[in-house]
Amino acid sequence: MKRVGTVASRELRSLFVSPVAYVVLTLFAVLGGFFFLSTVLSFNEYLIQLQQFQVFDELAKLNLNDHVIAPFLSTMSVVLLFLIPGVTMSLFAAEKANGTDELLLTSPLTMWDIVLGKFLAGAGFVAILVALVGVFPLLLFVYGDPEVGKTAAGLIGLLLVGITYVAIGAFASSVTRSQIIAFVLAFVILLVVWMLSFLADLGAAGGAVGSSGALGATLRWISSADHFENLVKGLVDTADLAYFGVMIGSFLLMTKAAVESVRWR
Amino acid sequence: MIEAKGLSKRYGDLLAVDRVSFTLQRGEVVGFLGPNGAGKTTTMRMLTGFLPPTDGTALIDGHDMFQDPLRARRAVGYLPESPPLYPEMDVQGFLRYVAAIKGMPRGDRARAVERSLERCGLVQVRRRVIGTLSKGYRQRVGIAQAIVHDPPVLILDEPTVGLDPVQIREIRQLIKDLASARPGETQHTVILSTHILPEVEAICPRVMLIHRGRKVVDSPLAELTRGGQTLEEIFARETARDVAAAEEGDAA
Repeated sequence: MKRVGTVASRELRSLFVSPVAYVVLTLFAVLGGFFFLSTVLSFNEYLIQLQQFQVFDELAKLNLNDHVIAPFLSTMSVVLLFLIPGVTMSLFAAEKANGTDELLLTSPLTMWDIVLGKFLAGAGFVAILVALVGVFPLLLFVYGDPEVGKTAAGLIGLLLVGITYVAIGAFASSVTRSQIIAFVLAFVILLVVWMLSFLADLGAAGGAVGSSGALGATLRWISSADHFENLVKGLVDTADLAYFGVMIGSFLLMTKAAVESVRWR
Repeated sequence: MIEAKGLSKRYGDLLAVDRVSFTLQRGEVVGFLGPNGAGKTTTMRMLTGFLPPTDGTALIDGHDMFQDPLRARRAVGYLPESPPLYPEMDVQGFLRYVAAIKGMPRGDRARAVERSLERCGLVQVRRRVIGTLSKGYRQRVGIAQAIVHDPPVLILDEPTVGLDPVQIREIRQLIKDLASARPGETQHTVILSTHILPEVEAICPRVMLIHRGRKVVDSPLAELTRGGQTLEEIFARETARDVAAAEEGDAA
């Protein structure tokens, strides 16, 4: 696996040659600014209301971490749902469309060189995205005193969610030669994975799914939402970290199988 | 240098390649002929390790393509039917990348890229983005990526498609040079598929004809044409005869 870096750096550079990287970075920064501003403003409004009505016990519970940073990062994780497929759609589909898969697969590279190289390029791009919106919570340190640990846990959570989405997007890209199909497929899988916990809640309320508790629990476990929420709340639990590891690992294995499948067709 | 042993490929009910065997020595240039759909590309894809054969195997420079694929693939330069190019990369960046994934040591890559730029006449366009190049130049970049890591074996699928007559002559000369023994340079073994029969006559001392997945002719060009027949006549005869024989077989 010596060539992982070679594959990854080519992929990352290609992203920055195409307009995709800049569109995604710009959208993410603009949306980040918008949602950050609106979260801060509504926090401010809430603060004034509480002061006017002199609800002091409620006021004492207010803090920047739970009322600004956490909701902001949660919103940004939803934005990633829409943007990551745009980053990952080209990973494998473009190789097939260009005919360069024949170059890659006849080179002395292992399957993991190719799959991990591409995955790491996507993960690197997510790291840039997270660094970009990480600036906003940092601003709060200038004007207030949020907790460092909690903020860091939230940003790591956003990074892990983004990287998991990259693994899922890479898989979607590996099963087709059309970038549009790769985008739509990635988006649908991400949406389902994200919504599973709502489905479980719905089932619990309606009694249909929730009554068989195991199914509801399984759905909730597969969904990225709860694991991410724990990190954003500052709860760094190995169970949640393991979740991200398992998701990334299984989607990369499926990607590898899909790339290899040209050989057994 | 190349040894194909009973290579077969089956797609469902279709037997695309049927027990093709041959041996090529270092420095040999073989013209690989056959009508469209005869199994040329499939055979080449098996020799390069892109497709696994249903049966049989291939040895490249002594390494089994399917037992020891990394070493065997390292020894092959491959130009597929459509050149594998990244339109957004520039020519020399692309060649540097290919040199790296083909496993060349870091220190040798710059020189290897220079040499392949020179041999393929790409020095003037080295900084151009591949997507903006003309078809002829793209084809040359395709050849450059096949030879950049100086592999002992070259497998070229229709290397002169889309080139103008001057470029065709240059590329043919290049292929001849690659196969000739010169001090300090690797002597290449070349398999070249083409539809252009004069091309075979110009550069390939040995001819292989494949039809319906089977090897029907494998002999030195000089022997084939000794009786005064042209390659075109031989091609027409062999492909027609096999069809007739196969139809007889079906009837029986």
